[in-house]
Amino acid sequence: MISELQQLEKDALAELKTAKTEDQFSSIRIKYLGRKGLLTGLLRNIAQVPEAEKPLFGKLCNELKNKLNAEIDNALREQASRNKEDILLKEKIDVTLPGNLIKCGRIHPVIQVRREICSIFAAFGFSVVEGPEIELDYYNFEALNIPKDHPARDMQDTFYVEDNIVLRTHTSPVQVRVMEKVRPPLRILSPGKVYRRDSDVSHTPMFHQIEGLLVDKGVSFGDLKGILTAFLKKIFGEGTTLRFRPSFFPFTEPSAEVDIRCVMCGGKGCRVCGQSGWLEILGSGMVDPAVFKNVDYDTEEYSGFAFGLGLERIAMLKYGISDIRLFFENDIRFLKQF
Amino acid sequence: MLVSLKWLKDYVDIELTAEELAHQLTMAGLEVDEIKTIRPQFSGVVVAKILAVKPHPSADRLSLCDVTDGTENYPVVCGAKNIAPGDIVPLAKVGAVIPGGYTIKSSVLRGEKSDGMLCSEAELEIGDDASGIMHLNADLTLGSPLEVALNIEDTVLDVNVTPNRSDCLSMIGMAREVAAITGKKMKLPSVKIKESSEDINSLTSVKIIDSDVCPRYTARMIKNVEIKSSPVWMKTRLEAAGLRAINNIVDVTNFVMLEMGQPLHAFDFRFLEEGRIVVRKSKENEEFISLDEKKHTLPADTLLICDGVKPVAIGGIMGGLNSEVKEDTQVVLLESAYFNPSSIRRSARKLAMPTDAAFRFERGIDPEGVVKALNRAAQLIADLSGGSICKNYIDEYPNKIISAENIPLRLERIREVIGIEIGTKDVVKILRSIGMTVKQEGRGRYLVTPPTCRVDILREIDLIEEVIRLYGYDRVPVTLPAVSVNEMEVIPRLEMEERIRQLLIGSGYTEIVNYSFGSPLFADAINLPENDERRRSVRIKNPLGEDLSSMRTTMIYGLLETAKRNANNGSFDLKIFEIGRIFLDRRQDRLPEEKNVFAGLLTGKITDDFWGSNKTVDFYTLKGSLENIFVDLKINNCRYVSTVVEPFLHPGKSCGIFLDDKQIGFLGEIHPDVEEKIGLKTCIYVFEINLDFLVEAYLGRKISCQEISKYPAVTRDAAFIIPYTMEADRMLNIVLGQKEDLLENVSIFDVYSDKGFEEGTKSLGLRFSYRASDRTLTDLEANTVHDRIVQKTVTLTGAKIRY
Repeated sequence: MISELQQLEKDALAELKTAKTEDQFSSIRIKYLGRKGLLTGLLRNIAQVPEAEKPLFGKLCNELKNKLNAEIDNALREQASRNKEDILLKEKIDVTLPGNLIKCGRIHPVIQVRREICSIFAAFGFSVVEGPEIELDYYNFEALNIPKDHPARDMQDTFYVEDNIVLRTHTSPVQVRVMEKVRPPLRILSPGKVYRRDSDVSHTPMFHQIEGLLVDKGVSFGDLKGILTAFLKKIFGEGTTLRFRPSFFPFTEPSAEVDIRCVMCGGKGCRVCGQSGWLEILGSGMVDPAVFKNVDYDTEEYSGFAFGLGLERIAMLKYGISDIRLFFENDIRFLKQF
Repeated sequence: MLVSLKWLKDYVDIELTAEELAHQLTMAGLEVDEIKTIRPQFSGVVVAKILAVKPHPSADRLSLCDVTDGTENYPVVCGAKNIAPGDIVPLAKVGAVIPGGYTIKSSVLRGEKSDGMLCSEAELEIGDDASGIMHLNADLTLGSPLEVALNIEDTVLDVNVTPNRSDCLSMIGMAREVAAITGKKMKLPSVKIKESSEDINSLTSVKIIDSDVCPRYTARMIKNVEIKSSPVWMKTRLEAAGLRAINNIVDVTNFVMLEMGQPLHAFDFRFLEEGRIVVRKSKENEEFISLDEKKHTLPADTLLICDGVKPVAIGGIMGGLNSEVKEDTQVVLLESAYFNPSSIRRSARKLAMPTDAAFRFERGIDPEGVVKALNRAAQLIADLSGGSICKNYIDEYPNKIISAENIPLRLERIREVIGIEIGTKDVVKILRSIGMTVKQEGRGRYLVTPPTCRVDILREIDLIEEVIRLYGYDRVPVTLPAVSVNEMEVIPRLEMEERIRQLLIGSGYTEIVNYSFGSPLFADAINLPENDERRRSVRIKNPLGEDLSSMRTTMIYGLLETAKRNANNGSFDLKIFEIGRIFLDRRQDRLPEEKNVFAGLLTGKITDDFWGSNKTVDFYTLKGSLENIFVDLKINNCRYVSTVVEPFLHPGKSCGIFLDDKQIGFLGEIHPDVEEKIGLKTCIYVFEINLDFLVEAYLGRKISCQEISKYPAVTRDAAFIIPYTMEADRMLNIVLGQKEDLLENVSIFDVYSDKGFEEGTKSLGLRFSYRASDRTLTDLEANTVHDRIVQKTVTLTGAKIRY
């Protein structure tokens, strides 16, 4: 009788393995465990079992019954979850289609460069100041040591509104306006639009500049080199090579033009750097005592330096833009790249 | 300034390569923009000697020459007459290439063999002389290439001389810099004047009437000159400097100007009436024809060089046609003067005559170089023209030109400016290398006198610049300034702008930057009425073009043009914005009003190229973007007033934006008439908002946190049928105006109208939310208050309830 029981277990488990649907599982349960089932049948015949084996046989029957029930339940659960997965898989979507939220816009590349430069100088303690774009001749020129009938006026071709009112040719007049009101120490940055009567592939009649000014006791040319070196390495990378060379601006003395090794050719000479291997990046210098005199700063007590750079030029070098006019044509296909 | 190295070497030895020299000059503040090589336009031309000349048997005009290059003899047929046995001439051998790209071949001319060609200056483009074969010096080696024998190859540096360095607008000035940089000695040309017995003072006189513009005028006279072309050495030098050779007299004046920086002028003395010079300012509208044959009407106070009767030159700018040196000139009056720099600059600008002379005078010439240049030029003219120089020279010098002397210099100050100590010896050595006289005044104190050509050096700081420039910027170590704290006012508007920029790009807008100026026709294009203040635009007196002459008074026109340009490029879906300034004219002599604004434009599909939706933008898309900004800026009292209509907006789909009673901007759809005028086809929505007004509200913003209720809200809906023209805002105000404590919020859930409605009406669905802060509301409580509100609203508005 016990061997029959063992055979029954074997058959039942084998049958369970081949079953797939819920119905099949139910009929297996009925076939073996139902009231007229095979195991129930064996149990009914317990009388034929020798008396000594009866307790064991009963126990085995019960164990088998529990085991089969558990196996069938388990198989049913597995089957149910398999079916659910199948249903979810049928709901599969195309994950490669683009998302449907509104696509964000872009910040104008020149403004991006302005932000970057302002935040670098903010870390050096410079705050942003502003002034008018349509400016008095006095602030744009004379207070900056560029008198009327001086050849230095040729350096910047000027738009005139009245004889003594111009579109500012640089953002430097702001430094004079600030110095008239604020006593040193001073660390200011004046970004903004400037205007020059010029138009070709590398000049537009309007462009953006940032001018910086630092005035304090004991500021030296070495400090100018230090701040500008730190700045250029931040914006063009730690590996940037730069050089300072003498130049002339009426409002600074000594004046320095700052060049970096050409970012396009690495100094070998190319079209962008005019074969020189160097790119002019900014103009700078120690504030000329004549400028300090105009704002009543004591030139023996205070010294300082100023610098100015064109934002379009920086953006052109950073992003590989060859024609400055693209910045103001506002072709959306151009702007979307930044 | 074009600097020929060959010419420069006349005054200073140079051992550096052109590239090294260019680098050193650049690092000393004389930036070299370009290095050009001048090569002859020929090859295969050698120095040869004519052995024999025979007439051509069958052509009268030709002759047969026997020519040798020292190793071989060649038969050459030649058409020129100026040849004789023994002449040294350039021979283009078979295979040579001459200017124009011609290759010389062996040929037979009228039955006679010709193996080469004898050349004129013009044929080789060495000079202008085409009258005959070029004659060479007898000491040249036969057979040597002509470019080597004549030393024609040259390198020219294009030096960008800054406006302060007038002293470097001459070869000698450049040589002084090179000598200082390289430590070499200068070689100055020696001038030895051989004078005739005739005294210039017996022949002519100079009278300066306006000595403020002409402090010094000197002159020499050279008689019996023969006008011809200049020798090759002079021509090549002038051409390397970018000037054209004219004749020996004019060339000398140009040569000396380039050599010494002093502009000169030569008059044909026979055309000077009364034989004298008078220097005066012009009267208004005097007329004058300059030697380029242009007629000028002179403004008052132009400096004029006159004879006893009439003007003969515009002083310091250009000579006159009436007194220029001609082919038959015999007596030359040579002028070398000092003119007031700003006076010359004013005149040259007014007359639009930026000549080489004016360029130098307006930057300031060496006041002590006037006579040196006069003598140098007189001697050269005599040498090249066979003329004789009259005894003495005229030097009218009524106004002493002051040069800087004994400028105090402190070593300590040098250290302060540069940041490091430069030794006494080095400082003195540097200053002396550029011709400064240095006297010690005390410990670390000096008195320095610059050479008179350095008109830019007047102050201690100018001397310090010279020291650091020649010491080398790259040798100054990098330091950082000590931090001192100063509290600058921050500009709140800038912070607000950044938030707005961030929000707009988040809503899909891309930032643009337009020119601040445009066409003055914009005002008509956007229908501005005559009295609109935006017609008060600032006009530029010297614009690049009429279409760039008017400062913008609104950003809208620029945005519309941007939309049109993009549409032309096939981009029809646009969301763009700009932050910047607009300008309004005030009265004369006052600066215009500058307003900070931001403006935007919206057109086309809501989401560009989205596969799931093709919805296009409308008024509410744009309004939503703005509301978003106001929420973020915590500005919650904005009103949208439909009765305020911009002339360029659709009167039914636009409004003014108000904060309290102040209008801060507008938004709406562009008027179809304006779209048509500009040539736009899609519906376009725009806004413009004044940032200066907005920032006031931004600064006053407050956040006060409300406690969140623990009890649930009860919502009730009601739809009201109201006149079509009645605005939702009014309904909400009426509801909220009832001040029911339990009403927490009311919002619009539906606006609807269909044919079943009475004409001119619409249904407005409102959702009311009721809540008590201390308990859960019962249905009865909610219904009571809801019914009360609905009833009162109906009474106040005459609305009907829609069920």
